[in-house]
Amino acid sequence: MTTDFPAATLEAHQLWLAYQRTSVIEGLDLVLPAGRVTAIVGPNGCGKSTLLAGLARLHSPSGGCVLLDGDDIQRLPSRTLARRLALLPQQAQAPEGLTVAELIRFGRQPHQGWLRQWSADDQQVVHDALRAAGLQALADRPLDTLSGGQRQRAWIAMTIAQQTSLLLLDEPTSALDLGHQIEVFELIRHLADTGRSIVTVLHDLPSACRYADHLIAMLDGRIVASGEPSTVVTPALVRQLYGVECRLLPDPDTGSLLFADMRLAADTE
Amino acid sequence: MSWIAVGGEKNKVGHVPISENLSDVQRSGVFAPPGHWRLGWYWAGRRREASILIDRRAFLANVGLGVALILTSLIYLCTGTVAIAPASTLRALFSEAEPTVAFVVNDLRLPRMLAAWLTGAAFAVAGCLMQTLARNRLATPGIIGIDNGATAFAVASVVGLGVSLAPPAMALTGAATATALTFGLAGGGGTRGYRFIVAGIGVGAVFGAATQLLMARVAIDVANAAYPWTVGTLNARPTGTMTVLAIGLGIGVVLSLRLSRALSTMRFSEAIAQGLGISLRRSRLQALSLAVSLTALAVAVAGPVGMVGLIGPEIARHLSSPRGVPVIGSALAGALVMTVSDGVGRLLLSPIELPVGIVTAIVGGPYLLWILLRQGGSGNV
Repeated sequence: MTTDFPAATLEAHQLWLAYQRTSVIEGLDLVLPAGRVTAIVGPNGCGKSTLLAGLARLHSPSGGCVLLDGDDIQRLPSRTLARRLALLPQQAQAPEGLTVAELIRFGRQPHQGWLRQWSADDQQVVHDALRAAGLQALADRPLDTLSGGQRQRAWIAMTIAQQTSLLLLDEPTSALDLGHQIEVFELIRHLADTGRSIVTVLHDLPSACRYADHLIAMLDGRIVASGEPSTVVTPALVRQLYGVECRLLPDPDTGSLLFADMRLAADTE
Repeated sequence: MSWIAVGGEKNKVGHVPISENLSDVQRSGVFAPPGHWRLGWYWAGRRREASILIDRRAFLANVGLGVALILTSLIYLCTGTVAIAPASTLRALFSEAEPTVAFVVNDLRLPRMLAAWLTGAAFAVAGCLMQTLARNRLATPGIIGIDNGATAFAVASVVGLGVSLAPPAMALTGAATATALTFGLAGGGGTRGYRFIVAGIGVGAVFGAATQLLMARVAIDVANAAYPWTVGTLNARPTGTMTVLAIGLGIGVVLSLRLSRALSTMRFSEAIAQGLGISLRRSRLQALSLAVSLTALAVAVAGPVGMVGLIGPEIARHLSSPRGVPVIGSALAGALVMTVSDGVGRLLLSPIELPVGIVTAIVGGPYLLWILLRQGGSGNV
């Protein structure tokens, strides 16, 4: 399966995001690399999920703008945006009794219409999405009978079926055990190989270092570091973000960072 | 132009032919997803294509409900203080019959049956829209006070509070007022969750009390004239209002069907629906206006028979597949429930007539309790 997607660039200019009167993000600038996996990391409450919601237009900015390939996302019609940017929020919930294939077919919604309810394209894309997520054998199983990892792959498959160049995921692995997490991370890597740009909020820094090409570290609504994980992540950054002391070693096989000897920093209390 | 209909039969095994070579899928044409019939059209040398999917289970459910409705309606027309044989009834409907039979069937029972169909369908479609919108099966117009708002305003016009608008217009005004109040009181939370329902119950109670107050302050014969509005009855409904309802229901069902794709996506959480390209604000406004208008028109004919808005969609959802929002199914089930209820109300204590609103409340009350008390019943649609 080599569906190649045109490179999509997403940027934020002087972005302000607020809940009622409380500003969470104040004047943030950001350019996401196209065709890569970008992980947004940071401690709880640092505004990483809010930033993702802003990038996906779930949250309207109180100032500044988000540009998708140069177009202000606030001005794009909903369907047009859904054909260019797919989103998987946290704790996604489906109507009772829906099967895997039925869920994935909902991903075709932005491409369909009243007189275009099921085309050869739809069939092909849903088939590809099932394959990509390794769910062919489970296509007709109800979602609620699946394991957590399988269910999360089904949700990601739904966003795959949207056929967007850009995929935004909010903590896609947060409720999963180790094996299921790796299942999902490998699917994400696989999707990046097809040319998609992927932005994911992660709370787990070691996984972010292992699977992301680009890292954005946030603290108090600001970006404190961004770049390739192996150059950006330092013991000093880990201390600044999480109040944790650690040693970082390069993995002898892959070169990615290993976290060793983690403990609370003495001066955090 | 060629006509190609691909049935679902070829497709028992999986959702598309499982094949390692993807070009096989393309070569073998388009298959309907499981549980569907697909109707496809090609024109301009197969360069342009249109396709419609019909959900098999929903379709069969609708056929079943339609047949049940027709049979029930036939019984409805045959029974009453004067029993008429089915054959004579059919003759009266479709050809010539003796004048007394024709009078009873065509002039007395048929209009009332049509009123049951129209109001039942309108209440149930409105209920289906509201439940889907709020993602909660308790959020029907009857429960969140829209019925009561419509009733209070209609009663105000009947008892002559110096307002000369016709009952349908008053009912519409009342329904819109109740909805606006409910929204205002529920605050920014929109149509989600219990806050909206609780606000609606409060608003409904206020309007219910207002209705009682209006009735208490007028002469007994005026109060008598207004009484049917407060319980819901199909006895001797105004024909002009029926015509308005018939037209409104037709338009309402077509618009609801247009909206049903968005509605089925709105059953997911908000973020997902938005991510799939649904403009939530617009779709919600459309669904809400439709539900309010349909409820108001139905109240203007039958009074507040809001339980149908709860039971109708529930039957339809139970019979249909979880893939879609059963607009047509709700309409048919609502008409069926209304016809059965009114038939029972006419016959049970004959010659005394029970108003249909009371029958549906007697059936609906326990049902409501069941929804609320059922184990693990989150109330989600």
